[in-house]
Formats: sequence, C-alpha cells, structure tokens
Amino acid sequence: MLLTKREKEMLEGKHGRGPQKSMEILVTVGECYNAEKMIPITSVHIAGNYTVMRDEGIQWLEDFAQDGTRVSVYTTKHPEMFDFEDYQELNVPEIYQQAQKRIDKAIRSLGIVPTYSCHHFLVGNVPRFGEHIAWSASAAAVYANSVIGARSNQDGDHVALAAAVTGVIPEWGMHLTENRRAQVLVETEGLNFQEFTTADYQAMAWHAGKVIGENIPVFTNLPNNIAIQNVRGMLYTFPITAFAATGAVGVVHLVGITPEAPTLEAAFGGAVKPLDTLSITQRDVDRAYNEISSSSEDKVDLVIFGCPQCSIQEVQEIAGLLEGKKVHPTTELWICTSNWVKTLSKRMGIATVIRDAGGRIVADIGAADGPHLYLRERGIRVVATNSARGNYHMHGLFDLDTLFGSTQECVKTAVSGRWEGKK
Amino acid sequence: MKIEAKTVTRGIAEGEAIISHMPISFMMGIDPDTGIIREPGHELEGQSVAGKILVFPMVKGSATGAWRYYIAFKRGNAPKGIINIKAEAAAAVSAVITETPMVHEPKDDPLEWIDNGDYVIINADQGFIEIEKKQK
Repeated sequence: MLLTKREKEMLEGKHGRGPQKSMEILVTVGECYNAEKMIPITSVHIAGNYTVMRDEGIQWLEDFAQDGTRVSVYTTKHPEMFDFEDYQELNVPEIYQQAQKRIDKAIRSLGIVPTYSCHHFLVGNVPRFGEHIAWSASAAAVYANSVIGARSNQDGDHVALAAAVTGVIPEWGMHLTENRRAQVLVETEGLNFQEFTTADYQAMAWHAGKVIGENIPVFTNLPNNIAIQNVRGMLYTFPITAFAATGAVGVVHLVGITPEAPTLEAAFGGAVKPLDTLSITQRDVDRAYNEISSSSEDKVDLVIFGCPQCSIQEVQEIAGLLEGKKVHPTTELWICTSNWVKTLSKRMGIATVIRDAGGRIVADIGAADGPHLYLRERGIRVVATNSARGNYHMHGLFDLDTLFGSTQECVKTAVSGRWEGKK
Repeated sequence: MKIEAKTVTRGIAEGEAIISHMPISFMMGIDPDTGIIREPGHELEGQSVAGKILVFPMVKGSATGAWRYYIAFKRGNAPKGIINIKAEAAAAVSAVITETPMVHEPKDDPLEWIDNGDYVIINADQGFIEIEKKQK
C-alpha cells in the first residue's frame, strides 16, 4: 500500500505504541483487499461489548489504551449490560458490574464518547453524505450507507478503533463508488404498504435478504411517506439474512431516500441493467414471520423493546399502548434505550406511565445483547420482541426461545402474559 | 512440496494440518474453551483446531469474530498458523492481534494438496507453504 509520510511514521512507532498497532492492523487489512491507499475518516462507532469481548478482550482494550493512546476522530460506544444509573435495582451480578466498569474506564481513557447507544446517529454521531466513516456495527453501517449516504464497511471493532486512533482507513469495499451500485431490482407492487406495521417491513426485508444474498438490492416503490422506523427496521434486518457469507457488502438502495439513488438509473450507476429481479408477495412476508420466531411457546417471561434502542417516538407509542393497563405479574416489560431518550421520557412524563403499568425503561443497553447475560441466569427463557434482528441474536447468542410480532402485539402480550402475535 | 503464497502476517509456524473446504465463522464457529468447531453441519463440527495449522477458504460471518478468536488464543485453543484461499478482515485482524503467521492467495490450491494430519510449515516471512505428507 502507498502510505503517506505520517502513516509510515505511525507504522514505524514514531507516534507511540497505539498508533503503531493501529497502523499494523489497517495495513494488514488494506493489503488483503489490495487497497491502494488510506483515506481520512470523520466518524467512528465501536460496537464491541462484554458479550463478545469477555475478560481477555477487556485486557486487550486496556493494553491498547496504555501510553496515552487517544482517538483522533469523533467516536461513540455501543450499549453494554446495565443502566449506569439504575443497576442496583436490576441486581446485576458483581462480575458483570466489574466488567462494564473496566470497559467504561478504558473507553474514556481512549477519548471515546460514552454514549452506550446503538442509535448513535440520534445522539450526535451524524456523518454527512459522501463522508468516509468506520461504524463497527453491521446494521448501523447499512443504515449509514443507505440513508445518510456516508460510506462504511462492516468493520470489526479492531479496525474501527485503529481508524479512530489514526484518522484513516484503507480504501476498499463500500468506500469505492463502483462497489456501491445496485444489482438486483426488488419489486413490491403486490404489497399493501398502507397496512404494513414496522414488523411487516422487517419480515419483508428478512425474505428479500435471504434471496438476494450478497448482491446489492434496490427498492423502487416504497411509499413516499414511509416512517423512518420502518426504513430502519428494514435496514437492520437485512444483514441478518443477506451479506451473511462475507459480511463485506452493506448498502440497500431505496429510490427517493438513499442520497445516491434519486432515481432507479442513478442506483444502477447509469445505464446498467439489473442482474436479476425479485418480486415479493404477501405470502413471502407471512412465511418470514415463522422463520424469525424461534419458539411456539405460549407463556412469555419477558417482552423487550429496543433492538436497536427505542427512539423517543417508539417509547411514546409503547407508553400510549400501556396507559391504564398493568403488565402481567409473571411477565416483565423492558424498554431499552439511550440515556438521552430515557431522560426525555422522564421529562415528558411517559416514564411514569410506563412505571405505573409495571414496565421499565433501561438505558445504556440493547434489547438483544448485554442484559441476557444475567437475565438468562434469572430464569428468563421465552422472550417476545418487535425486532427481527433482536430475535435472531437472542436465539443465536443466548439460546432463548424468541417470538416476533408488532409493537402492539408485544404490548398486549406483556399485559396478558401470553403470546398475542402470529402463531 | 512447496506452494508460494502472499503474506498476511509475518512469522513461521509449523505443525499438523487440519483442513476445511467450507468457510469458518470465528464468531459462531470456534469454541474458545476447547478450540472445537461447534457450527452444526460444519465439515469440522466436533473437531479441534487448537495448535494446528488451519487451512480453509475464508472466514464468513461477523467481523466480531476477531474477539472470539483472541479469546480462544488467550485460552491456548487457537490454531498455530492460518492458510486462507482469500483473507478477509476478521481473519487478518485475528492474525495480527495474536501474532499468528498467516498467508493467503496461494499459487496452487492447498486444499488439493494438503490432507488432515500432513505436516505443514507456513513461512510467512518469505511467502510460502511447505507440505510433508503424513506416513501412510
């Protein structure tokens, strides 16, 4: 690879151990992909958490942070296991408390902003169209590529950290215009979007991803007024069934939404014709529901929202559905979000509505990950959620029995204690 | 038998080979406590890659796998060296952070030449693989 003088100095260790280790990682990865050079980046997000890092990973992070290594680019951090404010109430085992505190100390020492959020694009990490970024959370990278028009590969945490420290990343994959063009045309004429819930959009994306695999899709006739949580639901589901083999691809063109795709022609990068066309029917969407849910249990232990973390609009919707009702005594209801959305919920009074109904808003965690390390030990086994991605991870990482349905069905489930969605 | 290959991470490693024709997921695949491949239906399901020279086409799945590989390494259950047909980021990062010698893009397909149990040397400093066939 061609390196600038400064990049070479970093590789030789003239800027310290952290930049040297970072540049070693970046050059090794860049050379695997025959990248010609490094390019500057403007935004980084680190997804790694205790579920994947464990004590060995924390030790690696602490070593990396030694000698005053600091990030040089705005960098945010993904959710962890518990709410920094309320963890005493949650009865979090000591080992997880210690682990999260060690991670917190290491990321602060690196200069990473402790957002503990997977909707970092709602809490200030907002790149612009055409900027190069390194977001190490596969679904968020798809969102950045497809909605913001920023350019991110589905980088791992080490590459993202290295990029944050050095300020550069190898130019390959999604950073290059020629790799971002649409390949498969998705036709959805047979679907009645006006009746679609956010869950339906996710089921559609689940099916589309499975068929499309590693090709880049383009959707042409989504409604002009499609709500952002429906777009996000689709894009967060895609990487589960598509792109699974290499994890390297990550853009979905939505004509009229994706900045690079004002028209279908633009999505294809000019006169290029699609490799293939996929037509989705309502039957495909219905069938996806059966594949997403991993359980057919009736009694539900936990209804959990927030994969990705709930926006204030979603918390409002759940509070509206819960108002005047009570969560079933043997079922728990958790709403996972960022600290800033939790603070807003308190300010708006909806936190009280949720608490009075027997539910709980928990900040700094995501619905599909950290908390299950201890909830599983507490006997939580059957979990319902409105996120297809959440279902997939809770089943795959924690072997939970999972049920997938709309927000409305999930709230009804929390109240009756029994699954109220599609069977 | 000698095959030229491109260096991913430098160093020399030698040992008994274990081969897979299927891609491997470091995230869902390798059990860090044993080095055993756990993915249901995988060609190496139930076999350990610990201390071996691991020969396979490429890593699949989440880039998060590099953390899992690192844990396996720290617990003494990672391979000694890696030969890939095509290296991608999760494998390359795993090799860098564990200082595991690794090569890719071999001139000849190593899966056509290497059998399980053959003795394989990776010389990633000079960019080649050497194979000594197991005594029949």
